Amino acid sequence: MKQLVVIATLMLTPISALAHKVIAGVFPAGEAIEGELGFSNGDMASDQEVFVYGPDGAELGRTVTDGDGFFLYIPTKPVAHTFKADLGAGHVAEVTMSANEVAEIMGVAAEVAEIGAQPATFASVGTVMVASLSDQERAAIAKVVRDETRPLRREIAAYREHNDMQSILGGIGYIVGLFGIGFYFAARRKMAA
Amino acid sequence: MHIVDGALSNPVVIGGAIAAAGGIAMGLRSLDLDRIPTAGVLSASFFVASLIHVPIGPSSVHLILNGLAGLLLGWAAFPALFVGLLLQAVFFGFGGLTVLGINTLNIALPAVLTWMIFGRLIARGSAIQGAIWGGIGGAFSIAATTAFVAISLAMSGDAFLPAAKLVFFAHIPVMGIEAMLTGFAVMLARKVKPELFKKAVLT
Repeated sequence: MKQLVVIATLMLTPISALAHKVIAGVFPAGEAIEGELGFSNGDMASDQEVFVYGPDGAELGRTVTDGDGFFLYIPTKPVAHTFKADLGAGHVAEVTMSANEVAEIMGVAAEVAEIGAQPATFASVGTVMVASLSDQERAAIAKVVRDETRPLRREIAAYREHNDMQSILGGIGYIVGLFGIGFYFAARRKMAA
Repeated sequence: MHIVDGALSNPVVIGGAIAAAGGIAMGLRSLDLDRIPTAGVLSASFFVASLIHVPIGPSSVHLILNGLAGLLLGWAAFPALFVGLLLQAVFFGFGGLTVLGINTLNIALPAVLTWMIFGRLIARGSAIQGAIWGGIGGAFSIAATTAFVAISLAMSGDAFLPAAKLVFFAHIPVMGIEAMLTGFAVMLARKVKPELFKKAVLT
């Protein structure tokens, strides 16, 4: 009886992961790196620990995904960040954000801090337009934009994983061709014999 | 069933590639003119079968059909499944190119084992008996594949038992479906083309 319960629970646990591809992406989100983690069928990885490594393999930090598979990480060093997560059963996600992008994010963070410290001076030419906005407004706008583009990003990720008829037929075409070549060699072998 | 790039340690990946190359060589040697069409058709079926997702409760799994490939092809299942896996990796991004060897081994070796164990049994007795053995063989090859996947993961540092359990239980529905499919395929082949299995057993 006990075993039966164990088996039933195991079977009912959503292990949909197994037949799918892992999708992982990172993008700059204000002064943080935002990433998402999930599977190509639309299931997102919730409460998944994500490890962050530097280019030399040293661990920079850890973060955990929320219920929708999103995670946030605030970089402290302007080096390339590699995000790794082990989703179990051979599903490993790995995405890297280049040093340039991280530096840009950190630049934003520095700018924000600078503007916060000296509200009267403009931090740089590039921020003249937005410098008149307060920190909160900037953050709010960034958040709204992120939220608005999230479904789009997800759709693009799903679209990239989409297998259309063309690639299926193309694959079958390759198989026919390869076995045709096999025929050629087998026939030659038979002729020679 | 497809292990992705980066999930396994290098020795496992390299060992898998070497073993798969050996299996493919064995398979190519046994692949004579008459068996090439069968191999091609099974390769194509395997390629497409992975796209057919069977929704089971909250999860979904896809067919593998390696048992059937093994029963019909013997060692030639290696090249056939390798081609299918290669194209899946290139076209759909299932698995990956570096882990192609170990994935081939994990899927094709159970196919060959199935053929070794059940190949003789399905050719004996009535077509129904053959179909039942074929069904058992189909389920066995999936079970063996889950075990192989778990072993590969275990050799790369994952704890064996939890990984094995996870993969095994997730594939119980596939085992059932594949048992049915393989059983019926064997029955059909026994009725329509009985020499198919005799040949597979002899070579």
